[in-house]
Amino acid sequence: MTEAVSAQRMKTWLGAAVIALVLLGIYPLQMRIDAELKPVQQEKEELVLRSPRLLHALSLGYESFVADIYWTRVVQYYGGKRRDHDANFVLLDSLLNITTVLDPHLLVAYKFGGIFLAQKAPQGAARPDLAVKLLYHGIAANPEEWRLWADLGFIYYWDMHDYKKAAEAYLQGSRLAGAAIWMKPMAAQLAAEGGSRQVSVFLWSEIYSTATNELIRKNALGHLQALKAEEDAEHLDRVIADFKERFGRLPNSLEELVSVGLLPGVPVDPAGFAYVLGAGGKAVVDATSPVNSEMMKPSPLPGPNH
Amino acid sequence: MIGIVAINTFREAIRDRVLYNLVFFALLMISAALLVGQISLGIERLVIINLGLTSISVFGLVMAVFLGVGLIHKEMDKRTLYALLSKPIRRWEFLVGKFAGLALTLAVNTIFMTLGLAVALVAVGRRFEKSDVSILAAVYFILLSLGLVTGIALFFSSFSTPMLSTLFTLSIYMAGLFAADIRAFGGMTESRAAVRVTSLCSYLLPNFRNFNVMAAVAHGRGVPWHLVVENTAYAGLYLLAILLGASLIFGHRELK
Repeated sequence: MTEAVSAQRMKTWLGAAVIALVLLGIYPLQMRIDAELKPVQQEKEELVLRSPRLLHALSLGYESFVADIYWTRVVQYYGGKRRDHDANFVLLDSLLNITTVLDPHLLVAYKFGGIFLAQKAPQGAARPDLAVKLLYHGIAANPEEWRLWADLGFIYYWDMHDYKKAAEAYLQGSRLAGAAIWMKPMAAQLAAEGGSRQVSVFLWSEIYSTATNELIRKNALGHLQALKAEEDAEHLDRVIADFKERFGRLPNSLEELVSVGLLPGVPVDPAGFAYVLGAGGKAVVDATSPVNSEMMKPSPLPGPNH
Repeated sequence: MIGIVAINTFREAIRDRVLYNLVFFALLMISAALLVGQISLGIERLVIINLGLTSISVFGLVMAVFLGVGLIHKEMDKRTLYALLSKPIRRWEFLVGKFAGLALTLAVNTIFMTLGLAVALVAVGRRFEKSDVSILAAVYFILLSLGLVTGIALFFSSFSTPMLSTLFTLSIYMAGLFAADIRAFGGMTESRAAVRVTSLCSYLLPNFRNFNVMAAVAHGRGVPWHLVVENTAYAGLYLLAILLGASLIFGHRELK
């Protein structure tokens, strides 16, 4: 009897061990299949159902849940593109439209769309016009949300450099209940003086501190670092000009500025990489630094090809 | 003994009215493809292949799940299981026989549906080309995935009720469709633990996306033979694990 029980136990353990071994064997096999499938399943990027209204009808009353699925898809789509260094965000606008039609009150989708549709490649789709359209759709659906006006004003300011429209957007938003106190002065400043680095830093800091989406926060931090690097580079350029005035030539490196006592040490960018002397004797961010000076340039306005 | 159980399971399934209805509907879908083909200028082939393969997959899936979860329960309900197990047949042989019987049923049905698809293609005046072999590869992949679904249904029905087994099987199927997404989702986080957990989940789940080459085939693209071999090995290994697990559980089950 005992022998039969132990034989039974032995069989069970043996079976479990074989199952574990087989599952282990699946792992390398799946890796091989992934590699084989990549070219086979590579399809043209397309959405089978592009009509948000049709999707709304097909959602059978579960629109908000379907919107959540589409929102997840937006984040995955954008995150996947960034991971693969692919700057073609052809589906971003359609996905955001579907998401916001299914759930017009999903505010994070407007903010996300506003930033990444407008921003130039490789961070965004370089379509500030679509971002503006999305935000107006959001404002129509959520007329009490002052933040949407702030997001709209930001796109006019940062991506389109249309300070008049940016000032109008901030002013409109400032009139809503609960609007941040800085909205009205911002409108006045933009109307009177246009853009400045100080305004840019303030607005990116505001986005960084209030955004809940990690991708938006990372993007804002990248811009803040780039703006700081721009400020540092300007300061270094003034020191280089001092050196040229004293010695009648450009320095060979930034270390030379340190050796003659014009700098206490070679300064570093916000990521901790030392600045370097670039072409034409200008201080620039090291090429290997994650601080991206390209972030400071605005998006090109949409052309006829868009 | 396995063969006898398999043949009996096959005969029983063929006698099942639900099965005939499903085949009828599958053929109806393919007939509908002809109509869609007529109004889809220039993409008749694409529409017919897509709709045909989708019908084969969906109807096969419904059969695999709903017949698979009832394989053991039906025998227990009719009390034929006790008579059967009193004969010189081991429990695992009974399980494997049941699986083989349903797999055979699915294979026969898939063959008929594939013939329906071929007829539909001929009906729109299309000649068969060498590249059409890839349609057969797609059908073969569908069969492999149906085999896996049957195995999963059988696994759950070895210890659970038909209703719960249906729920579990469909859940695993849905999760398996998103296995690659689960892994990709983990990759987007900065948490190493999340990456490990999502990777583990995605590799443990049966990856049904492996078997989906429908879109590529409809566009006339070939399926590499390595993939056929690898997918066969994948389905084989997975089935081995599932049937082994089901046999262990069923072997310990108290049958009253």
